[in-house]
Amino acid sequence: MNDINEEDIHVFIDAVSHFFFHVTKEKVEIKTAYLLESDVPSATFDMTSYITLSGSFSGRIYFSTPRSMINHLLLMMGEEVRNKERLLDAVGEIANTISGNARKHFGETMEVSVPTSKETKSDWLKTVVSPHAYIILVKWKQYRASVVVDIQRATQQ
Amino acid sequence: MKLLIVDDSALIRSRVARILNDPRLSAIQLLGMAKDGKEAVALCRQHAPDLVTMDITMPNMDGVVCTEEIIEIHPHCNILVVSALSDKATALKALKKGARGFLYKPFSDEELIAAFLELIKP
Repeated sequence: MNDINEEDIHVFIDAVSHFFFHVTKEKVEIKTAYLLESDVPSATFDMTSYITLSGSFSGRIYFSTPRSMINHLLLMMGEEVRNKERLLDAVGEIANTISGNARKHFGETMEVSVPTSKETKSDWLKTVVSPHAYIILVKWKQYRASVVVDIQRATQQ
Repeated sequence: MKLLIVDDSALIRSRVARILNDPRLSAIQLLGMAKDGKEAVALCRQHAPDLVTMDITMPNMDGVVCTEEIIEIHPHCNILVVSALSDKATALKALKKGARGFLYKPFSDEELIAAFLELIKP
């Protein structure tokens, strides 16, 4: 049973908004829903990175983005190397930053792994996440990306 | 002053190195880069960095353990933790192990430059 509540999801919304505003100086549009709701568009884009949680939480936090969006972000950051490896590394760094920033609210007992990053095809996320996963849809300029929060509190011993 | 950059992200390593081109940081030279704590400790045994930027979440050896080991080798090394882990306990743990500063990701160029200047001021 997923016991993540609205306040918990706002922690991730704030982390996503903070990341994009810090990097781009622009506000992003945010929309949230359950991932498996039928009217939610595909959450999986070209590149996805996930962080696995342990300690007081279990599950994963995913960040998925089109290649064009991460390329644009790196360009804004002045990064000259923008090959596939560097783009995947950047996607992982964003997933890491969003998850790490969430520890301000959840504390150090929410342990985060290093990111795992890969190229992904449409609907991959829907095949790996639980029915109760939340999706945070992000719109920046003409791009859309997603953060999927598929976590639950660990059962207390 | 010689700087070692420790981060498992090539993007962050490259970015920190690029920020060193700022004229205000002309006193700092890049000694090397490490992608995890073990590599960093090995580099510190061979060389003696004056400054280290240290990520926390890394494979093989995390930044807190790495900070402790580097301070054992070079007690006067100035370690600046640069991490997304925003809870107070992690910052305090790193400072207790000998880190001299903590900068949260995401950071701006100016924030990193200010942190460096604070560390190297006489």
